[in-house]
Amino acid sequence: MEEVEKREEGSNDGKLEGGVEVRVLVVDDSPVDRRMVEVLLKKSGAMFQVTSVDSGKRAMEVLGLSEDKTKSPVVDDQKVDIILTDYCMPEMTGYDLLKAVKEQSCQKPIPVIVMSSENEPQRINRCRAIGAEDFIIKPLQTNDVLRLRSYARTGLPPPPPPPPSSSSNAGTKRKMTIELMAESGGGGSERRRPRLTGLAVA
Amino acid sequence: MVLHISSALTASALHPLLCFCFHNTYPEMENASGLHRQLASMKKNLFDQGYLDEQFYQLEELQDESSPNFVEEVVTLFFRDSSRSMANIDEALQQCPRDFHRLDKFLHRLKGSASSIGAAKMKNECTRLREFCSEENLDGCLRSFQKVKNDHTILRQKLENYLQLLRQVGPVDRASRSGS
Repeated sequence: MEEVEKREEGSNDGKLEGGVEVRVLVVDDSPVDRRMVEVLLKKSGAMFQVTSVDSGKRAMEVLGLSEDKTKSPVVDDQKVDIILTDYCMPEMTGYDLLKAVKEQSCQKPIPVIVMSSENEPQRINRCRAIGAEDFIIKPLQTNDVLRLRSYARTGLPPPPPPPPSSSSNAGTKRKMTIELMAESGGGGSERRRPRLTGLAVA
Repeated sequence: MVLHISSALTASALHPLLCFCFHNTYPEMENASGLHRQLASMKKNLFDQGYLDEQFYQLEELQDESSPNFVEEVVTLFFRDSSRSMANIDEALQQCPRDFHRLDKFLHRLKGSASSIGAAKMKNECTRLREFCSEENLDGCLRSFQKVKNDHTILRQKLENYLQLLRQVGPVDRASRSGS
């Protein structure tokens, strides 16, 4: 299935850093999830330009990357600022894509955020170990998407890593997110996700 | 005016009449609020019976002037995708020898998209089905999959009715319906 969609979005309220559009490449084999993420990005008001593809292979093509790691891109002219990829995909998984992106020999590899419906600490650690900037549990929410801008290659420093959470709150994923947002003031990813404390996500 | 939403033909025949009614006078305000109540009641039913969960609210929240048919669009995408997944699962369950690993991949896909639109009953039954699959319990898989199929059929019918009504209610009422 060939599918590359480009949607130009912008609703700048003038308060965002630099006023520059962040180019996001969304990689997901599920058409339902692709559409949800596209619209979430568009509605967040954070000026995303979204390209979405349905496979790791298509993502590599869009990125202009070769599977041959000895060939680095001739010009360090990255076409996207951030990659948001599903983990479980046929043929080339999100993990394979993440690895391919991080192994590129250019100066600053593109930030990669991995999404998954499975809350598996081993999977999360595997991704982080090879350089994934973040790991988000599906279904995505608005505040997940708002965090993306801080990872994009805008030259701004990422938010400082928060201390590990020892919270054992039960409750829905949505409630957890709201509580932790209030606590942490919106910074960092680990505290917002119960995955590191082994909590089940509803 | 009593409305019976029993078929697409009836609904589409009524639609121009409804549009005419909604124009400028008091009687159509009553019609509109009647439809709105019906819509709210239908939705409440879907939630009370466990077919939908709060994730469905997110779909509704994402619908606005720039994406005016978002809910219908995503629901349509879901039923297209899930029907395909279910055909694959059916085939995988018939296949000899059974490939439970392959079956699990299809289940993962089905569960994921059900979760994305808030199709709670389907999502939960898929979880149970995946457990049977991981145990390679064919009998359990077959029984559980039958439930998934039933849930799918019922949800499809209920959402089709809901969306038909949503189309008739129109943009004005949509603004006040979310979150109830």
